[in-house]
Amino acid sequence: MKESPLHHFELHPSVHLSLMGIDISLNKAIFVMWAALAIVFILFMLVRKTEGRLVPTKMQSIAEMLLLFLRGLVDDFIGKEERKFFPFVAALFFFILSCNMIGLIPGSYTITSQIVVTGTFAIFIFMMTLFIGFGRHGLHFFGILLPSGIPKILIPLMIPIEIISMLARPFSLAVRLFANMTAGHTVLAVLFGMSLTLPWFIGFLPFGFTVLINALELMVAFIQAYIFTTLTCFYLGDVIKMH
Amino acid sequence: MSGPFRLSIPCRNKLMSKGSSIRQGIGIAFRLGTELVVATMIGALMGYAMDNYFDTKPWGILAGVIFGGAAGCLTVYRTAMTLQFDEEENNGDQTPKGEDS
Repeated sequence: MKESPLHHFELHPSVHLSLMGIDISLNKAIFVMWAALAIVFILFMLVRKTEGRLVPTKMQSIAEMLLLFLRGLVDDFIGKEERKFFPFVAALFFFILSCNMIGLIPGSYTITSQIVVTGTFAIFIFMMTLFIGFGRHGLHFFGILLPSGIPKILIPLMIPIEIISMLARPFSLAVRLFANMTAGHTVLAVLFGMSLTLPWFIGFLPFGFTVLINALELMVAFIQAYIFTTLTCFYLGDVIKMH
Repeated sequence: MSGPFRLSIPCRNKLMSKGSSIRQGIGIAFRLGTELVVATMIGALMGYAMDNYFDTKPWGILAGVIFGGAAGCLTVYRTAMTLQFDEEENNGDQTPKGEDS
């Protein structure tokens, strides 16, 4: 009866596959990731179908609202003339949002609670900012390590600090999303375990809390996706504008 | 036809409008906490790696923690400054600026 509250984060292969000696077994996380992709794709295809109507449908107005909001982010942080990043930012937001939301369905899996997934996103974004920075500014890009207007005597002190704060960016992106999702789901598991093991006249209390925490997690799912995309825009804008 | 997830229009505007204080506040709160911790951790890790590489046992990790903490504080400071700047800009639209600022 003793089950660890971290048990549901463990992954075991459900379909064993291997390709030329490399293990490519499918597990729950991969199925959930496919489901998340499919949900985003199907919802937007449905929206796309109603395009051109004079009175927008409900789905269409929600999609327009979210896309305008994301375009506002891109305009604010990266700049109006850099709208070519908008598809990337929007895809990232909707994918993370749908992954977080799927995780809230009981019995499914939260893939954003695996640091491998969030870390891959973050490292990809970090690499992208480096490529864009060196592509746009050439060797002047090293100037990002030297904030303007500091005295010369502070330069040897500032460079390690700036390097650390630059390297901390992908880590903080990855850790924030991973930690928030993991913490929320662990709390849910602990409360639910309590409500199962306690007698019913006390057990209804933790059960009620799981409902409330689920509502909180819904908000956290949205906010974490929003923060992830905001910071992506901020980092991209930072290397494009160079302070 | 009204779905179960319909938000009232003021609520929707509050969550989605550009200068929404709730959304911005929560966003900032979630950002700054991890920023400090992660920068310190990165600094400590870099110091630890240096210790192992150059064999300077305690000094690398000490300097790393201090530099990492400084980097975290700097990031938080910058975020806070841009936030304050935005707020002043927003207030400037509605009310005239005070003399004492």
